[in-house]
Amino acid sequence: MNNYTESKIYTVSKLNKYIKKLFENDYNLQDVWILGELSNFKLHSSGHMYFVLKDKESQIRCVMFRGNNSTLRFMPGDGMKVKVRGDVGVYEKRGEYQLYVKEIVEAGKGELYLAFEKLKEKLKDEGLFSEEIKKKLPLIPQNIAVITSSTGAAIRDIITISLRRFPNLSILVVPSLVQGTSAAKEIAKKIDFLNCHFKGLDFIIVGRGGGSLEELWAFNEEILARSIYNSKIPIVSAVGHETDFTISDFVADLRVPTPSAAAEMTIPDKNNLLDNINVSKSKISRAIKRNIELKTENINSLCANLKYQGPENKINQYFQYIDEFIARLNSRIRHQVELYEERVKKDAQRLDSLSPWAVIERGYSICRKVSGKEIVKRLEQIKVGENIEVIISDGKILSKVEKKEAVSN
Amino acid sequence: MKNKKKAEDISFEDYLRKLEKIVHRLEEGELTLEESVQAYEEGMSISKICLEKLNKTKKKIEKLVIEGEDKYSTKPFSEKEGEDAIHDF
Repeated sequence: MNNYTESKIYTVSKLNKYIKKLFENDYNLQDVWILGELSNFKLHSSGHMYFVLKDKESQIRCVMFRGNNSTLRFMPGDGMKVKVRGDVGVYEKRGEYQLYVKEIVEAGKGELYLAFEKLKEKLKDEGLFSEEIKKKLPLIPQNIAVITSSTGAAIRDIITISLRRFPNLSILVVPSLVQGTSAAKEIAKKIDFLNCHFKGLDFIIVGRGGGSLEELWAFNEEILARSIYNSKIPIVSAVGHETDFTISDFVADLRVPTPSAAAEMTIPDKNNLLDNINVSKSKISRAIKRNIELKTENINSLCANLKYQGPENKINQYFQYIDEFIARLNSRIRHQVELYEERVKKDAQRLDSLSPWAVIERGYSICRKVSGKEIVKRLEQIKVGENIEVIISDGKILSKVEKKEAVSN
Repeated sequence: MKNKKKAEDISFEDYLRKLEKIVHRLEEGELTLEESVQAYEEGMSISKICLEKLNKTKKKIEKLVIEGEDKYSTKPFSEKEGEDAIHDF
């Protein structure tokens, strides 16, 4: 106790800081996996998780910050066997070391889960999951194959539902192991076999009913994934329940949540299709009927138009034209007649002024022989004693020639 | 014969699409009489083909029995067989 020097005295915080550094610099304590059981689990309102990881003899405090726990696939709980990954560090405030957790995996699933993630990443990088290479399933499948256990509920469901939806369907059941160490290889071989000998298949459903991760494991194996990828026939992956995702699901051309869903989603409802076609048929019939009606209407209106434009109408028009022409002619003629009348009237007036009566009116008279009414212009025309009449303006004087006397100019 | 082959090559989906197009064209009512009669006939024959396609396949549930690398046979499949699930090559 006596041999300490002033320089070796630390403050508490300095000490803790130093210890913290020690932890941080020891790579054995960084990014390590620790197996244990969860206890005293608390999810704080801040979103951070606090818990204790323990085994039979020992325990360690753990914290998992919100940023890390948001990707957890399950809700941790007390008593759960888990594997956690994290850094061992020091919480200076309390001088306690604890585990800063970055990842938690349920222990039972741990190995498989890691293998799953690793293979998933690898195949994804190779492009096996790419959407562009996924083949389209035909709308009307006629020949399908199902690779699954021939005894499970899965095959029964698929057959029952498929036939209910499309009663005349050809289904080839390809019995296969679906769990156990050789299952993946067997399923893969059967996919290859079908590709060799049954090229006409519309697609192959590969699947099984629900089970534990171990039971579904065949569908997470690389050999099966590659066989699905290489298949020329489209593959439908139908494994387990809705929540189960397998590598097969990612590689397959179509992933369906369950075997029964495989039938529901790939086999069309025949009655629906028949209805569709019949609706189309009656639509076509109705449409052509309407088209013909429209055309008929069109023709009728054209006929009416034609009648209007036709010869009958034209003739009537000519009639009218002729009538008008006659009327014009009439008025023309009337006018002409009037003009002539006028002229005749004028001529008559002029004639009147030349009439002998006008002369007689002025005092002249006409001398005529009574017999023969010959106008006497010269003495030699008459003899003494002959009867003559002298016409004057208001009558005539009957006379007898007494003497003829010639004028001497 | 040639026609029949052609009908085989065209998928049901394509026929269905064709049928819908014909319905649409006819319903628009802008076709000449000849065109609409033609469309009508085509539509009717396509719907016939569609129905034929729907009814073409016979119901058949078979089980594949692999007997060797390239040997196989098929047997009628009965769900009640309760057979063993193990079928190795």
